[in-house]
Amino acid sequence: MNKKLWFLLVLLLSLVLALGACSSSSGDGDDKGKDDGKTEDTNKGDDGEAADGEPQEGGTLVYALDSAPDGVFNINFYGTATDAEVIGFFDDGLIKYDDELKPVPNIAEWETDDNKVFTFKFKEGVKWHNGEELTVDDWVFALETIAHPDYDASRYANVKNIEGAEAFHEGEADSISGLKVVNDYEIEITFDKARVNNLENLWTYPMSRKEFEGVEVADMSESEQVRTNPVGTGPFKVTKIVPGESIQFEAFEDYWQGKPHIDSIVLKVIDPSLVVEELRGGTLDMTAFHPSNYEEINALDNAEVLRAPGLSYYYVGFRLGSYDGKKATMDYEKYQNQDLRLAMAHAIDREAWIDEYFYGLGESLNRVVPSAHWIAADDADLENHFEFDPELAKQILEDAGYVDTDDDGFREDPDGNKFVVKFSHYATDNPDFEARAKALTQYWNDVGLETELEMTDSGLYYPLLEEGDDSMEVFFGGWSTGADPDPTALWQSDMVWNFPRWVDEENDQLMEDALDIEIVGTDQDKRKELYVEWQQNINEFIPMIPVAELEEVLAISSRLQNVTMDVSGTNSPHEWWIQQ
Amino acid sequence: MLKYSLRRILGMIPMLILISIVVFTLAKLMPGDALSGEIDPTNTNPEYIENMREKLGYNDPYYKQYIRWITDFAQGDFGKSVRYKTKVSSIIAEKLPNTIFLGVASLVITYILAFIMGIYAGRKPYTLGDHAIGGFNYFGLAIPSFVAGVFAIYLFSFKLGWFPSNGSVDIMVQEGTLEYWLSRIHHVILPALVLGMLSTASYTQFLRNDIIENSRKDFVRTAKAKGTSQSKIYNVHILRNSIIPLVTFLGFDIVSIIGGAVITETIFTYPGIGQLFLTSVQARDYSVLMAITMMFSCLVLVGNLVADILYGIVDPRIRLE
Repeated sequence: MNKKLWFLLVLLLSLVLALGACSSSSGDGDDKGKDDGKTEDTNKGDDGEAADGEPQEGGTLVYALDSAPDGVFNINFYGTATDAEVIGFFDDGLIKYDDELKPVPNIAEWETDDNKVFTFKFKEGVKWHNGEELTVDDWVFALETIAHPDYDASRYANVKNIEGAEAFHEGEADSISGLKVVNDYEIEITFDKARVNNLENLWTYPMSRKEFEGVEVADMSESEQVRTNPVGTGPFKVTKIVPGESIQFEAFEDYWQGKPHIDSIVLKVIDPSLVVEELRGGTLDMTAFHPSNYEEINALDNAEVLRAPGLSYYYVGFRLGSYDGKKATMDYEKYQNQDLRLAMAHAIDREAWIDEYFYGLGESLNRVVPSAHWIAADDADLENHFEFDPELAKQILEDAGYVDTDDDGFREDPDGNKFVVKFSHYATDNPDFEARAKALTQYWNDVGLETELEMTDSGLYYPLLEEGDDSMEVFFGGWSTGADPDPTALWQSDMVWNFPRWVDEENDQLMEDALDIEIVGTDQDKRKELYVEWQQNINEFIPMIPVAELEEVLAISSRLQNVTMDVSGTNSPHEWWIQQ
Repeated sequence: MLKYSLRRILGMIPMLILISIVVFTLAKLMPGDALSGEIDPTNTNPEYIENMREKLGYNDPYYKQYIRWITDFAQGDFGKSVRYKTKVSSIIAEKLPNTIFLGVASLVITYILAFIMGIYAGRKPYTLGDHAIGGFNYFGLAIPSFVAGVFAIYLFSFKLGWFPSNGSVDIMVQEGTLEYWLSRIHHVILPALVLGMLSTASYTQFLRNDIIENSRKDFVRTAKAKGTSQSKIYNVHILRNSIIPLVTFLGFDIVSIIGGAVITETIFTYPGIGQLFLTSVQARDYSVLMAITMMFSCLVLVGNLVADILYGIVDPRIRLE
């Protein structure tokens, strides 16, 4: 027994030593890698410039995902932004968007005379990663999958306007009648009626019919074609997936825009709190990051930050009415006074607030459309600019009858009743949220409006807003906009996401007109005019105070070259290259 | 023993039913559901969300939802995850091996460290070495694992570069090769160390105290009087007696490792059950959440049972009837 025990101990000990040795040896390897990186950096000044214009082939790019992907790697099925990030590397859309978010041809170009019937022409010779050629039939397949009754993701809204899609969805037809295949590279799509935004709303991503042969629509989202072995038409193809942690890509030789310069890409889930150190250590080439890390990353000498205008904005909304699930009524009196809302806007020092909580990576805005969008109204056309002016705010409140009658330091409402602003902000484990919400309440306290802050759990926050719950009076929120400027889903009076429950005929009419082909035709300028009017209307009425729009940021290591970013995202990864 | 085990296992059934009611109620009491986090006008629309809620039965009365869930669950159908859009069982099957690997690695490290330190400290009590080990252990007991994890990453990954800071394996190595397993071991050491820290500390102190206590017993004096060598007394006579109570800890360890994994895996972005649990709570992914909680509960019950049975095996004086 004695010997046996000793043998066991020795065995365990030797295992420990062996493991220790293996770890320290790879540690050496890492260190060497770092040293190499440094010498390269110093060399760059000498021969780097000459090499700049000339892309170099090869290398592996390491990209950080900030949370684990769900594993739904097909653009027709995915649900989360992280999955979309992964899909972006291996799949291409038929059309893309320019830096004003107007659609431009990518794989397909289109023609239309009346915005009802569209003819799409595909490029020839575009290959799927499985070797098949992309034809219009693959697009028909995607559209029919999405319209199928068993389809279990959220894209049906992008298909249902096609003629006959409804019947197919209900199971009354075997195919969608509005899809007419002319030949392998040409298809005619007829919508149920002419709309201004038919194209922007249309689902323009194909899906390989060959690859999904024999898979029922109901089983697709859990099939291996989606989860472990996805194919696309993009510049890189998936070679290996370690679920929930990393994905490996290699260059797709037959990519239709040309073979990528980089040999392989590794996507790794790295906690956002670690990315700065990973960048510093040279083990990471590309990552999104939290604004609070901006200065630290900017100071690194082996990384740089790309910035582009973003598509999301934050606002402070006012509860003006109630909602019964179908119809909104503007019957909540407390914030009905327009001057009150204007004064509250003037009380906020938005620039200082953005610098403090978004580290300079944002800007204040006066409309509910991000500046980069082509429908964004010029500030000169807007009446209110919500400058920080506490004296003006106090004056407006004085004039509107909000005065301090009982000398407690806070204003009462015009009838002399106690007036307390109830402000809500969502709460997660991010400590910034409470701090920035407190800062806003302080601004209002400073002009004599007593404000109470309530931090509501993020899971509860939006459901409460959807129900139009009494507890949500003045609320902080954020929206992001897509390529299609149509704001109906967020602003039409009876929509569930019209959180202020603002009912305004002019507002509804303007949104309707901007979609009406009879009024707008195919003239984009006319459409923009209507949207500018719509923005002016909101700016005047102030159902919400637009607070900030955020920039999109991306950190890249300095060995990575030719990466550009605009409002629609980065350039195609096949153009990137790595300085060897 | 068999009778006892059977009785205990039968006794678990009402317990599990009660647990399932509590788990279900707590899950449903959480504000929001898996779809409320998806409000994004560019990617979804209210109609779809409403349809999905109807399809998933979120609008049915709670008792109906419970009965539907528990009937499926009893038949081994854990349901489908809203977030992952696939069967809960396959998601869990994907992550479970990682957690088991982490748990086993942590146990192995715990045992090795605790034995070495405990035996040393027990043989030479009240010396400098013993105090150093004692101090180290109280440190280990006092530092919460989320603090220890962050420090371990900072020190061993970023400053020294010995271990990777995230993941369970390097994607570049070929699966099945020796290199692959070395890479997995390399990735698991740091989280396993942090995960096992608490139990290492308590094991060591326990072993040390037990050895000291045993060394004062009559049978040790007798052995000494017989002229048995010092090392044989410690390694055979005392150690065997001191291990007995330790063995019973195994059952509780299973429980504490699973619980600790929730935090450790999240810090080290190690894709296991613990991390899955946390993200499911955040995403309100009920089916995954409830399946994992039920699994944890079963493990706690089984762990306790294992502990009790081990008592009977290592110490025949204890009768399990």
